[in-house]
Order: sequence, then C-alpha cells, then structure tokens
Amino acid sequence: MSVKPEGFEPLIVAFCCNWCSYAGADLAGTSRMAYPTNVRIIRVPCSSRVNPSFIIRAFQRGADAVLVAGCHPGDCHYHSGNFFTRRRFTVLKQMLEYMGIEPERFQVRWISGSEGAKFASVMNNITAEVKSLGPNRKLRDAR
Amino acid sequence: MMGQSEKLQKIAAEALEQGQVTMVLGWCKKDFWWQAPVAFITDPASAARLVWDPFTVYNPVKYLLDNHHCHEKIGVFVKGCDSRAVNRLLQDRRLEREKVVLFGVPCDGKTDAAKIKAAFPGRKISAVSRVDEKLLVDTDSGTETLPAAGYLLDKCQTCRHPNPVVYDVLAWEKVEPRPGVDDARFVRVAAVEQKELEERYAYWLRQFDRCLRCFACRNVCAACNCRTCIFDQAEPRWIGKASDLADTLNYQIIRAFHVAGRCFECGECERVCPADIPLQELNRKLIKDINEYFGEYEAGLDPNDKPPLGTYRGEDPAGFDES
Repeated sequence: MSVKPEGFEPLIVAFCCNWCSYAGADLAGTSRMAYPTNVRIIRVPCSSRVNPSFIIRAFQRGADAVLVAGCHPGDCHYHSGNFFTRRRFTVLKQMLEYMGIEPERFQVRWISGSEGAKFASVMNNITAEVKSLGPNRKLRDAR
Repeated sequence: MMGQSEKLQKIAAEALEQGQVTMVLGWCKKDFWWQAPVAFITDPASAARLVWDPFTVYNPVKYLLDNHHCHEKIGVFVKGCDSRAVNRLLQDRRLEREKVVLFGVPCDGKTDAAKIKAAFPGRKISAVSRVDEKLLVDTDSGTETLPAAGYLLDKCQTCRHPNPVVYDVLAWEKVEPRPGVDDARFVRVAAVEQKELEERYAYWLRQFDRCLRCFACRNVCAACNCRTCIFDQAEPRWIGKASDLADTLNYQIIRAFHVAGRCFECGECERVCPADIPLQELNRKLIKDINEYFGEYEAGLDPNDKPPLGTYRGEDPAGFDES
C-alpha cells in the first residue's frame, strides 16, 4: 500500500471487539492483507463496551470517522452483548444523521475472527469513503 | 360545590390527620400570579396553602428522590405527566411504591404565562383563574376572558395522558385527551428530518449555540435520576468547564441519548430551557426511531417493563449495514 504524502489522510478510529473483530484484524495482518494506516484500532472487550460518549469524544478530538466493529449477532463471547450494541447504535446512528453528521462518519459493522479479508475490505472502503468526504469539522473541539 | 383547590386541600388534610403520610407535595401560590411552585405540607392546618390553578405545571415527583433514605411515607399530587414520572422512578428502582401515596389529579392542560402576558401588552395582570375552557384574567383595567385552549403550554398541546396512569386516590373525574394529539406528536421531528444534511447541522448548531449549560433540562428531568450524573463527575470529566460548542454538543447528544427509551415526553426540559432550545425535537426523534425499529413503546406506563435499550430480541433490525 502506498501512502500519498500530498492530499488529505483521514483519521479513523475503530473500536474492535477483542473476540471477533480484533482477531479479524490479526488474521488480516498474518494473511498479509493490506489495509490503510489511517485506521487506529482501539481494542475493547465487547462492542457493547463502547459508550456513545467515546464516539462523540473521538469526533471532538479529531477523528474523521468512527467505526464500531463486533461479533456477528448470536456469536457474542458474552452471549448477548452485541444485541445491545445493535439497538444502541441503531438509535445513535439515526440521531447523529438527524443532527447533520454524514452517515459515513459513524459506522457499525460485524466482523468475525475468521473474516480477515472482510476486515481489510471494510477498512479500505471506509477510508476511501472518508477521503472523498474530506476532513470532519463537525463536533470538533475549537481548542 | 367545592372548588378544585379545596378538594386538594381536603385530601391532603385528611391524609395528614389520619397519619397516612407525614408530608404532602402539592402546589401553592407565591408572590406573582404566574407562580405555583411545589409546596411541602407537613401539618393539616397548612394544607389550606394548596392550590390547583392554571400554573401548577411543576412536577413534584423528582423531589421524592430527596426522600430516598427516609422511611416515612409521603403523599404526592400527580398530574398525568407527574404520574409517569413516578413510573419512571419505579422502573429505575429509585423509588419504592410503598413509600408514596399518589393523589391523582386529572389535568386539563396548564396555561403559558408568557402567552397571557403577550396578549395584554402594557397592562398589569393581578390574577388568572380558569373556569372550564375559559381563562379569567384580572388586569388593572378590568377582567378579560380568554379561551383556555389557545393559551396552553406547548407541551400540554401534545399531551396524550392528561389522566394519571398510576394513583391511589383520584381527586376528581378523568378528562378526555385533547383531539389530534396523536397526529401532533412527531410533526416537529418530521419537519427537521425533511431538511438537508448540512441544513440540519446548521439548525442544531444554531440551537445549541444558545445553550448556557445551566443543566436545567437535566435537573428537571425525571429520567435523569442517576445518583452521580456523568456531567458532574470529575474523573473522567466528559465535558470541560469552558464555553465550547463541541462540549455543548457532546452534552446535548449524550443527555438525549441517556433518556432514549426512557423519556416519557413530559416536555419539562423544553419548558424550563432559558434559551428556548427545542429539546423535544431530539427526545421525540429517539422515541420515533425506537418505535419504528423495535416496536411501539411508550415509557412511563408500566414500571415492570424493560426499557427498549435495556433489552433486545434476536431478530431486531439494524439501522446500519449488517452484511
């Protein structure tokens, strides 16, 4: 992968669940699949650990997009965590769009530990989408 | 015939005399005609201070949280919205039903003092009373009559539960909800939804730019009943002390989200806002989405329900790409 020195490089914060999506990232790495360096992974024990405040705070501190990735529904390591994730972020995503945040800026995806290729393609897609959108100025700290 | 205020006074005096409760929360009159704050009545003689007038809008239920560690029983007068606040606290395990006696007061909508003042510019008003669907306004140049329906608070115009949903004693007969309230529920939300994305962001920035972060919307809210609010705690500190629009947006988004599926649409947040921020447009958006995605749910009706974001079904739809 080539990183162009000129032009806009987005900062993407990806909250990955320890049991599936983080393992997916591991598989993508060990399989030598390329995905952009714009993605910064934050490992969380479960996608339902992600507090909506984390997402708002990420935007405040300069994220151009935030991704929450977890196990597929039914596969949660803690039995039902991602069912709560699904309800919570369905509501939050609609609300952010209602407040005028582009839908591409906040995404939720299910990526299992065996889906290294999916992990790489999701990261490639989100990076391409956010690159074409340009830098995020919404919800950003003035400081 | 006994007046409505006298009925409340009688109920309170009897409950106190019989030792059924040690305190009654109701409403009293203060110095100005538009004031009807919550009264804390502890002896039967002072029950005569209680009133029921066009301005008894305040919700006495949140004061019950102050009684959390007491074992004494308290009587509370509850309008429709206040009774749903009781259910809210019961569902959140912040109140024990045995510790309160609920005196239900069917409510025909409260009057907006600002609208009355605007109707009589330059005239001094001394008192406002209500007789059925008429408002009698005593001014320095005679008594005027206004139709009550035209001077209601905005929140009362879309009230779907004018009657208490939970009570032990009912002060008088139940009233009918106003016609058309169901259609009016999401009208303002739909209007915002129809705007373009950038227009929506500009709209909300304009609204929240006025926010003083006085936290009145949180303090008045029965759904905001956490022992320590995340916006008060020092570590981690979620929002800074400085006046920063990003922090204000953070506060407003998270405040609305924390009451998602728990807000019972009393509209107090919007009424108390000194900057007139249309907070109900946010709260109702969340209610609308929850209804559309996870099935109709109305908060504050059954304390044994689980709030929609505190439960799940395997076949729930998702508002994002699940592929």
